[in-house]
Amino acid sequence: MDWRQIFYHSMNMFNVFIVAYFFLVNGTYTWLMLLSLATTWIHARRLGYQGLDEIRESVVTPPATIVIPAWNEQDIVVNSVRSILKTDYPGLEVLVVDDGSTDETLQRLVDAFDLIKMDLTFRPRIATHAVRGFYANPNIPNLLVINKENGGKPDALNVGLSMCRTPYFCTLDTDCILERDALLRLMRPIIRSPINTVASGGIVRIMNGCEVRDGQVVRVGLPKTLLERFQVVEYLRSFLYGRTGWDALGGTLIMSGAFAVFHRESVIESGGFAQDTVTEDMDLIVQLHRWAASSGRKIKMVFTSDPVCWTECPSSLANLGRQRRRWQMGLCQTLWKNSEILFNRKYGLIGMISYPFQLYVEALGAVVEFLGYFMVPLALLFGMVPPTLYVLFVCLALLYGGFLSIGAVLLEDLTYRRYPRYRDLATLMLYAFLENIGYRQVILYYRFQGVARFLSGFRQWEKVIHVGAQE
Amino acid sequence: MPFLIEHISEAVLAMNVLVFLAACLLIVTAFLRRRGRTKYFHRIDALRRQYGPTISGVLDGKVEFGKGLGILAAMAGSDRVQVLELLLLEQKIDPSQLPIMRQLCQDLGLVDIWQEQLEASGGGKKSGESRATPNRIRGISGRFGYMIRASGANNLGIIRHQPSWPLLVRALGDVHPDVASVAARSLAAIGEPESFKPLLDCLYNVVLNTSSQVSLRSIKMALVSFPLEQATLLVPSLRHLHRRIRFLAVDMIREMVERRAAVNDEFVLAPPTFTPELSELFLTRLNDDENPDVRARAAPVIAYLADPRAAYALQTLLGDKEWFVRLHAARAFAKRKYESRAYFIASRLCDPQWMVREASAQTLLSFGRQGLSQLYDYALTTTDRYSKEQIADEIQRAGLIPELLAQYELDGKGKEFELLEQLADLGITSYILEAVEGSCGRNLRTRFLADFGRHPDLQIRTWVRGLASGNPISKLRHRATVARATAPQAERA
Repeated sequence: MDWRQIFYHSMNMFNVFIVAYFFLVNGTYTWLMLLSLATTWIHARRLGYQGLDEIRESVVTPPATIVIPAWNEQDIVVNSVRSILKTDYPGLEVLVVDDGSTDETLQRLVDAFDLIKMDLTFRPRIATHAVRGFYANPNIPNLLVINKENGGKPDALNVGLSMCRTPYFCTLDTDCILERDALLRLMRPIIRSPINTVASGGIVRIMNGCEVRDGQVVRVGLPKTLLERFQVVEYLRSFLYGRTGWDALGGTLIMSGAFAVFHRESVIESGGFAQDTVTEDMDLIVQLHRWAASSGRKIKMVFTSDPVCWTECPSSLANLGRQRRRWQMGLCQTLWKNSEILFNRKYGLIGMISYPFQLYVEALGAVVEFLGYFMVPLALLFGMVPPTLYVLFVCLALLYGGFLSIGAVLLEDLTYRRYPRYRDLATLMLYAFLENIGYRQVILYYRFQGVARFLSGFRQWEKVIHVGAQE
Repeated sequence: MPFLIEHISEAVLAMNVLVFLAACLLIVTAFLRRRGRTKYFHRIDALRRQYGPTISGVLDGKVEFGKGLGILAAMAGSDRVQVLELLLLEQKIDPSQLPIMRQLCQDLGLVDIWQEQLEASGGGKKSGESRATPNRIRGISGRFGYMIRASGANNLGIIRHQPSWPLLVRALGDVHPDVASVAARSLAAIGEPESFKPLLDCLYNVVLNTSSQVSLRSIKMALVSFPLEQATLLVPSLRHLHRRIRFLAVDMIREMVERRAAVNDEFVLAPPTFTPELSELFLTRLNDDENPDVRARAAPVIAYLADPRAAYALQTLLGDKEWFVRLHAARAFAKRKYESRAYFIASRLCDPQWMVREASAQTLLSFGRQGLSQLYDYALTTTDRYSKEQIADEIQRAGLIPELLAQYELDGKGKEFELLEQLADLGITSYILEAVEGSCGRNLRTRFLADFGRHPDLQIRTWVRGLASGNPISKLRHRATVARATAPQAERA
């Protein structure tokens, strides 16, 4: 065989692989979509008798702490804490960990809540960077601000974890706004489950375009820019049927650290938030699975779609790129670090399906898809694929992507209907289709960059700038 | 090869068409559903406007019951039952309106429907006692019938329909955990004393049968909602051989007691609320249980007992070998009637477990002036650094520093001075300096500068340096300069 034959042969092989990959991935997504359609519909119907009042009023309800790591968030931190202090939950405590901000984050908190610097005792349960001081107001006993040396988000979370006094804690990003009863809803599966539930995640929705008043989203609307609108559809798809589907299968491997509740002692016993990856939330979930498997504990991690946390999505390509590169790099780091789980029967569905899916589809898929965008046209150029077939296949890819995103929008509309106007629904449908032309490719590029950075050993955390909710 | 490609092309084309049609179907479904829901909500809003005043009028007594009932009963439509259910149960009512609501639901036939829904299936009913199920209910016993059964149970609980309690008790054995949990909640809302025992059996089942699908917390939530008078029924559980059942029983009594005590400052446990048998059990058996969790949870209950032996029992628990028993005992002492025991509580300020030290300090603070004095005395006499730090933590978090400084300003070299000196020696000066700087009078600053201006603490040194270099009051500036100059050489360096 000469080099030309080898080239042709390789191209053919790759094309066959791409087609097989396409069907495997989309088949899995379709299956997840159908599964989440059923489970979300059932869940929404069950909400009618779930009894939030009982949880709110019962002495049995375990107290919880909201831990907010903040680094250079001077523009949004005060409103965020104000909003969180209004969360409807019995025995709520709020811990803000200022991770050595170089801006006025700490000072603005001190001014807004009349905080006084106190020299309290810090008893670390997990090794962390040094704590510089504590800030509290005796008249707001459930708020404590901790100022520490910069050590990254996981380090800040570990400081919060060490200071947390309640059996459960909720991690929350500074740019997030919680719906008043979101924590009650998030704790409900923990209270109602007969199995020890060590983690409970809720849905993160995009706040851009919504009307915020008094620290609460009072009118839901769509953002103005294309980029933000695409992200609305993407979040719906990711949370409403990605996470719901995996949860229904019992294969939760990712939970957004922007809004999730964890059992404190389980997290501490498993080693706390690891600092060797840039996605500490996913890493913690995998770590908890490993801890449970090694210690023979029966635990549960759940995702529920009704507790809502509103977050600000990046409104510029630069910020979006930073966010997505980090997510992808963190995914690769976590999967690499926990490669023992891959096809390990000890981990059940996690080891046999969830982990391989994350590895082959979510992590390596970025490379396959990225290469596909170059190789398939190349095959067309060399006459290895008939133009008709190529066009048909491109159409199929676009249509299928649109179909899946439209499914997510339908799921939203069948269950929670957060976007009340017809115009919003129509816009979402349109964007669900359009996101496959341009936006998907941009995201794929960032994901590819994330994988490349992982392979090159780059480990830096890229900060996404938040402008805060416009009240 | 060309033959194959053509076939593939045809297949991909077919897939394109299929996916396109599926996507269109989803879009059409979304819009049709949206239209349907919009129409439904408009209709509900219209019905709310039409019947809302009648319902609220009946509940407020402004509309005669019979007349209101007639208007509501005349409501037409195939979904009449669902609409009535929605309009009635969404009302925010106070307890006095509950009987009227119950009567309305009863007379409109809703209660019968909810009972039928609950009875429909689910394994709660024993074989041989089945009743003829009405046709409309038969359809709900399928795969998703549990949602209807749970809704029925929920609605009966909302209106606290007392005669339905046997049905709800039966629903505790439903095959679906949702129904059992909701039934437990409704039973708690109704509060029928006779339903306490079946709920307790359900709890036993959850504890002893590991395959149970019902959450322990759900059943416990229901049980603790019952009045404290029901605690007598927990006596067998308190004597149970299973250590976890004993623990749960004690914990439930604790929660019942604390709920009652939360609304009554002078609350004590005495007959007839709490029988002598229960008191005896707590004072002679549970305070010495082999399960430390039982001993720990018994402490808060013992604290409320009117019996004179309670204080001694608590004191014993305060010296327990398990730290969390000592912790609960220290917290339990936080009641006015134990002010005279402050000395014993202070003895735990040197506990090896910091949470016990913290609880002891907080309990002393809850005693007011007497406790505070005890706390200060202990801080000044102890040589244990950990105890000192713990006390300092509590003084700061309770916001007592300004008070301490005010007293120091008045007394000069009293106990407060010594305490401030101790805090400075420990390096706990941030709050002190902030309070000194924030004080209105110049006297405090002058006095503090005179007493502590030469102290080696870094924050004090920085403060003195600040005063010396930039304070507008020349006298203060001069004193600060002197304090700086005369500070020990090492610290100045």
